[in-house]
Amino acid sequence: MSAGIVIERLTKTFPPPRRVFGKRRPAPAPAVDGLSLTIPAGAVTGLLGLNGAGKTTTIKMLATLLRPTSGSATVDGLDVVRDAREVRRRINLIAGGERMVYARMTGRENLWYFGQLYDVPRATLHRRIGELLDLVGLTDAAGTLVERYSRGMRQRLSIARGLINSPAYLLLDEPTLGLDAPIARDLRAVVADLAAGGVGVLLTSHYLAEVEQLCRYVHVIDRGALVAEGSPAELTAGTRLPHTVELTLTDPAPDATKAVDALAARAGAEVWHDTDIDGRPRVTLRHPDDLAGELTTTVVRAGGAIARVEVSPPTLEDAILAMAAR
Amino acid sequence: MSAAWRVVLAEALKQHRRIFGTKLVVFSMLVWPVLTLATTYYTILPVTAAPGAAERWPLVGEPQRLAAFLAAGALAYTFFFSLVQSAWHFSFERVSGTLEALFLTPASRLALVVANGSGALVQNAWLFGAFAVAAAAATGTLHVAHPGMYPVAVAALLVPAVAWGAFLNSLLMFSRDSAFLYTLLDDPLWFVAGVRLPLFALPLWVKAIGLAFPLTTSLAVLRGALLDGEGVRELGGDLALLGGLSAALFALTAVTLRVGERHAQKTGSLQLF
Repeated sequence: MSAGIVIERLTKTFPPPRRVFGKRRPAPAPAVDGLSLTIPAGAVTGLLGLNGAGKTTTIKMLATLLRPTSGSATVDGLDVVRDAREVRRRINLIAGGERMVYARMTGRENLWYFGQLYDVPRATLHRRIGELLDLVGLTDAAGTLVERYSRGMRQRLSIARGLINSPAYLLLDEPTLGLDAPIARDLRAVVADLAAGGVGVLLTSHYLAEVEQLCRYVHVIDRGALVAEGSPAELTAGTRLPHTVELTLTDPAPDATKAVDALAARAGAEVWHDTDIDGRPRVTLRHPDDLAGELTTTVVRAGGAIARVEVSPPTLEDAILAMAAR
Repeated sequence: MSAAWRVVLAEALKQHRRIFGTKLVVFSMLVWPVLTLATTYYTILPVTAAPGAAERWPLVGEPQRLAAFLAAGALAYTFFFSLVQSAWHFSFERVSGTLEALFLTPASRLALVVANGSGALVQNAWLFGAFAVAAAAATGTLHVAHPGMYPVAVAALLVPAVAWGAFLNSLLMFSRDSAFLYTLLDDPLWFVAGVRLPLFALPLWVKAIGLAFPLTTSLAVLRGALLDGEGVRELGGDLALLGGLSAALFALTAVTLRVGERHAQKTGSLQLF
């Protein structure tokens, strides 16, 4: 039995809507198109792409809510179609937004309800509910009807619901959508702890800093197909996006300015000269390599006095946007 | 405790929370069927005074027995219609996003819909049921052949009602355009099942349609067992028909759920509303 979630040539094409009269509409393009990837246990794996890339469709196929058109997906060797019921015991899905909980039940009742549906052992269910309420910071609101919860509180309850069956694999589809920054930070810590404890996590998020922080490995999809994969650092490096080095001088230094222009010409870097808010001369270099060292050396050798240096490496967000633009 | 029983308990809590938003609801559970009963009684009363009515329907000459006949009809209708309402409400789970959360769980789908129907039934019908039995006992209109016929009558009402509710749930759960069923199953259910009139007064084609609804036969057993002193032997045919109808409804529910879930997985319609 292969461990982890293994996806092989997974394809999903939604059938065109049926019409009572008139011609049947042509089948739309696949939402997921021959996707192959692996989500190991004990790590957070990212699934990135722009809107409509097929992230949610992929996650819903893994959650057994959608049936693949072709290809396969297994969870610890169990097929998501053939062994759906057993797969559902091992996984759970947390989606962004505050849906998936009942407004006319209290937070505690919601967790009890889903605990019953997951057949969580009675001996542990009440303890588990207490732990989860504590984890998401809803212990004090446990007896309040969910319809009186704020949006963030509902989302936190959704997160607790997604953990009620102690899933071996957690599918997170924009889990921090609409959450306050401190709560989102706490959730990231929870996800990191879960992964450290052996849970396999698949994460989609528009907050790419979150992905960079949590994910050991990232898959980038576009129009349902895999376009890149690797660690966040590898993906960023692979796009050859420019590092930006911003250097501020204490006083005008014409020799230093000439030397910087020569360096930029030699390296093939983009260069700008302007002044900062205090009127001090400032030079900005953009190049795929980090030229901060060469730039500072050049300025100092040319007699310039440096007030400040700031290096901005390309982010994962820059890399994803660059891939999408291709 | 079996997983299915735990689903039943969970659904019972959910139904309780959904239905009992305020204490007035408890009051309305009694008022609604009683008003319905009163409306029916006073609608029928002028008809009973028509020349020759007593020859065709002897009950019209005995107001207390006529009221008991109609009360039995209202009781059974309350049971069955509460399940139509419950199924309609269940279809709103798609809108609220909780239907996906339900289908994410490994819980048996059949257990879910049966539990939902049973939960609604207990929540909606217990008060009027208790009232109707107490009223019938107090007015002396109960005429039971054997005490064993009480559980037979209860079972003849409960089992087909739950099967009916489960079937409706399975239909409405997967359909976005299910409101028409609500309309279709309200007044026609009254009419074809003989809730307000004896079946012999209805045209043959209506009787034929009525046989397809378990309420018709449930009502025949209820009235026969509790008001006409009939035993299992006299009601054997109706009980067999009810058993067959209930089994068919449960089987149809299981098939509908399987086909419906497969279709929803194919089209992604669980998230559409």
